Amino acid sequence: MTEPLKVLIVEDEALLAMELESLVEEAGHSVVGWATSSAEARSMIESTDADIAFVDIHLTDGPTGVDVAHYIGEKKRSMVVFMTANPKRIPDHFAGAIGVIAKPYTMNGLTSALRYLQEGVRRPPPVSARPAGFTLSPAFEAVWAPAA
Amino acid sequence: MDWKRTREPADAWHMTDDLHVEHGKGDPFAAAIRATRMSMVITDPRRPDNPIVFANDAFLRLTGYERHEVLGKNCRFLQGPKTDKVAVAQIRTAIEDNADVSVDILNYRKDGSTFWNALYISPVSNDKGEVQFFFASQLDVSDRKRSEHRITADKDRFEKAVKERTAELEAALEAQTTLLHEVDHRVKNNLQMISSLTIMQRRTIKDEATRHSLATMLERIEALSTVHRRLYQSKDVSRFDVSDFAKDLVTDLLTASGRSGIKPKLELDPIVISAEKATPVALMVNELVTNALKHAFKEGPDGTTAGRIGIKMSQPDGHFKIEVSDDGVGMAEANGDASFGMRLIKSLARQLHADIEWRDAGPGTKVVISMPNEPQQKRTLS
Repeated sequence: MTEPLKVLIVEDEALLAMELESLVEEAGHSVVGWATSSAEARSMIESTDADIAFVDIHLTDGPTGVDVAHYIGEKKRSMVVFMTANPKRIPDHFAGAIGVIAKPYTMNGLTSALRYLQEGVRRPPPVSARPAGFTLSPAFEAVWAPAA
Repeated sequence: MDWKRTREPADAWHMTDDLHVEHGKGDPFAAAIRATRMSMVITDPRRPDNPIVFANDAFLRLTGYERHEVLGKNCRFLQGPKTDKVAVAQIRTAIEDNADVSVDILNYRKDGSTFWNALYISPVSNDKGEVQFFFASQLDVSDRKRSEHRITADKDRFEKAVKERTAELEAALEAQTTLLHEVDHRVKNNLQMISSLTIMQRRTIKDEATRHSLATMLERIEALSTVHRRLYQSKDVSRFDVSDFAKDLVTDLLTASGRSGIKPKLELDPIVISAEKATPVALMVNELVTNALKHAFKEGPDGTTAGRIGIKMSQPDGHFKIEVSDDGVGMAEANGDASFGMRLIKSLARQLHADIEWRDAGPGTKVVISMPNEPQQKRTLS
């Protein structure tokens, strides 16, 4: 059995963070922290050993999610997946992130994305089909889903 | 006309006002120059300060001077405070170099009024190549200059107005785009919150029927969510690619059902409908597919369910046609409950002016929906 993921949630909406936490845990993974601002996210990435961070673009201190992704990327300990209702704000290079789960996601869409990411992080490339609503960054697309 | 006379043009200029050479009166060249409407003067560079030695009537009419006022004077009396110094220097240099010059220069009449003078000066030399006279013609081009100025001013004014208007429109578009993104963002976040609340509520409920109800509600909310996620992915927010949506929806519903034995069969032409039809179409397709998933298939003896759900979308003769089919147990058993779902489908069909028909597909059921779809340009939706 593939080892579950340790997830950091970076999301300013309490309701969404709460529900995301439940879904992550129901899928057998663990949530190691919840940050609502870029400052909190930075300090939590230092103090936790998250495998993956789900990062919203809009946080309590503004549209700082991309900066957070850059910061996490430089630390090279965790991977980033954007989770946003505004995917157009993500730069073309995705700030090093794996990809984006576009909001609003469906319950099944998220569960499928978690399975896909678990495979991708633990034993890349993932074997499951890429879920609807999940988009890979160009860099990860080349490695995880090379065109046949 | 004999050859010798034309060889000696300098002689012709001896018939000037200044020299009063009588025999020149009969000279046709001199007569022509006196009478022409083109203003002309001749100056003599061999005399001090290169004075005017001949001026025709046209010159006097143009400048407003009497003949005696101009003869013996250098032409510079035509210049005034607004005369371009560069043009004056150009003339001076040409005269010093014994060269031709053509220049537009602002000149002053006797009464102080100004006119634009298209001045042409050329030296007249004798056989030895010595300059005898300068011949100058003046053409009043004030009208041309005025329209040139007006055209330049109009062009500047027009360009400025266009620039301002463009900036205004760009700002308005920018504001509108920002607003659209903001609203879009809020709609999506709110849909996400509604589904999250529903899921959380469902977790706290023990009663199976209520849980089932909430699950059905969540499916409907998520169908709307999928519409909105897809809607603003394209550049043109007024058009909706219904085939991409159907693929997302069916994949999602099938995986969510956990019944891997049921395979989708998708025959989806790329069809674009207007955005206002997106929601009712999405809800209707969601109802039909979830209905089929829930009622059409019976578990086999091994506890698994096998079967096929097909969605076909096509666009024959101006109509948008959706076919949802299954190879399950057939209509007799499938139509029993889900009365709210059925009412929903029928109401949405009315809203869309769609004909809906349940057919026994033996095995299974086929639902055929057909609605008018105004011809949509096939656009590349990114």
